[in-house]
Amino acid sequence: MNQDIILEVKDLSVSFYTDNRKNNAIRNVSFVAQRGKTLCIVGESGCGKSVSASAILRLLPELSRIENGEIKYYGREEPINIEKVDPDGDLIREIRGGEIAMIFQDPMTALNPVYTVGYQISEMLLEHNKDMKKDEAMKKSVELLSAMGIPQADQRVNEYPHQFSGGMRQRAMIAMAMSCNPKILLADEPTTALDVTVQAQIFELMDNLKKDYDAAIVLITHDMGVVTELADNVSVMYMGYVVEDGTVDEVLRTPAHPYTKALLASIPILGRGRNQKIEPIRGSTPDPFNRPPGCQFEPRCDYATEKCREAMPEREFISGEHNVRCYCYKEVLKDE
Amino acid sequence: MLSYIIRRLLTMIPMLLVICFLIFVGMELMPTDPISYMVGPEQIANMTPEKLEEMREALGLNRPFIVRFFEWLGGIARGDFGYSLTNGQPIKDIIAAKLPATIELSLYALLISTVFGVFLGILSAVKRGSTTDSALTVLGMVGISIPEFFFGLVMILVFAINLKWLPIGGRTLPEYTSYWQQFRHVIMPATILGISMTAGVMRYSRSSMLDALNRDFLKTARAKGLPKWRIYILHGFRVALTPVVVLIGFRLPTLVGGSVVVEQIFQWPGIGDAFVTAVRGNNYPLVMMIALLTVTMMLAASLIVDVLTALIDPRVRLE
Repeated sequence: MNQDIILEVKDLSVSFYTDNRKNNAIRNVSFVAQRGKTLCIVGESGCGKSVSASAILRLLPELSRIENGEIKYYGREEPINIEKVDPDGDLIREIRGGEIAMIFQDPMTALNPVYTVGYQISEMLLEHNKDMKKDEAMKKSVELLSAMGIPQADQRVNEYPHQFSGGMRQRAMIAMAMSCNPKILLADEPTTALDVTVQAQIFELMDNLKKDYDAAIVLITHDMGVVTELADNVSVMYMGYVVEDGTVDEVLRTPAHPYTKALLASIPILGRGRNQKIEPIRGSTPDPFNRPPGCQFEPRCDYATEKCREAMPEREFISGEHNVRCYCYKEVLKDE
Repeated sequence: MLSYIIRRLLTMIPMLLVICFLIFVGMELMPTDPISYMVGPEQIANMTPEKLEEMREALGLNRPFIVRFFEWLGGIARGDFGYSLTNGQPIKDIIAAKLPATIELSLYALLISTVFGVFLGILSAVKRGSTTDSALTVLGMVGISIPEFFFGLVMILVFAINLKWLPIGGRTLPEYTSYWQQFRHVIMPATILGISMTAGVMRYSRSSMLDALNRDFLKTARAKGLPKWRIYILHGFRVALTPVVVLIGFRLPTLVGGSVVVEQIFQWPGIGDAFVTAVRGNNYPLVMMIALLTVTMMLAASLIVDVLTALIDPRVRLE
């Protein structure tokens, strides 16, 4: 067992129940997060990225259920099976924020508008440090904010979120998330709502955090550019399945799944000029209530065969950590 | 903040003048002759037209409309609210006698509806979709739809007549020595008035709370590892509070206006009761004063609501 592994998700399935219908939001998803490393989970909207992150903190909505699988957290002396923990209990509350922190997509709405930024950071500090005093927490909040690059933090700490710009709010969110020195930082599309310059700053900040705090970062994104910049490991998700998983080099240089390959082919590359060929993925994402019977990508796949229509392929390891769910991955690799 | 309040108070003056005018015009348009209410029908039959004309002249009813309006207005400005047409009592004294009763009743009702309405509303929202929620929804509908007079009569029948726990009506009796004895009188009317208000506050709190519960920052609060009460009360309800405060704030005018129906059923000697008697008796100076009092309270309530909203929500700025 690798000592650096802090979180292991294994064969996790989560379903949503609505109007007597069941949506298999994620199916047999597996990935690991390691100390001081960034895992990027990529995929299009609705593929189950956020559900996976919410499941780790047991923040899933009421009408959902973890069907099978394990979420093993190795941050304590004894590993904890998070999927078995009471989602309203004290243990998960200690872990939330204290050991696994989360930041959200839209910093405009993720902070409570009626409390000052300082109050919201202190609230978290006081919750997880029972003997801390209020003024100490406020002092720590100022330190955190200025460590996240917010100028005049001692004044801004008393301001309300609406007085902050989008980038500042996300910095404040990160300050809050990092306040209790979490072992894992779950970032659910943290920069989608921000403009590109601010994005770059936020990612730089997160990259530094990874080194300074030795935290594992699980970054959820749909931006391949972000993956190249930040990731150590990548999991590509499609329709609730992890279709390809491995180190960033393996996945981006030698994509083994047709979806990964198509995804990479659909991104324009800066500097190649206007003549580069950008290929969109044909078709559109299937309705989650009316899924293809076999491989989820089969209707849109250039490599599809008869076999693909029958069942979703199992995970196959290509080399080391690199694994893929595809019957035809050898051909995909050959086409490189 | 203070300059805002002063500015608002100043803008109230022209508004009140316009309202005074409208009230006066409304009264003027009433097709009845106040004299016929002051004097019994038999007496009128025995009076000569000259005598009637003399009376009108003495009461100032024959002067032009606009002159009478400004006289009335001038009287109010001087603190002279005029005299009751039915018994000649100064209106100031009537209101001074009736107002405490109405405030007592309405204050209890407001208290009941706020405490229960807010609490049940939160409960209903937090446990949405549960049996508790459905039961409260049905009760809320019942509370809103069943009229106060029906509730009042049923309560009188059960608690006053059959069980004899509470007095049928009135506010006080001469032999009472402590407030506690008098308090028994207010229980039923305050409950009735409170119930119909509770239902509204409850439905409002519920939807406002549900709205807050679906906001992203609630998930942030959960991801911070906060205990449930902090998530629901400090993060959820704190944000849901604004619309509830607005609703309750606009109930403030009942504090002085009273409730006509409830005061009638329980013979509560309040403003609502006085208002009905005054309308029936065509006692227009009193009707006008009560109307003016309620409208003034309405304006004050809207100012209070605006200031409270700004205090509760840092995003609201008073301009």
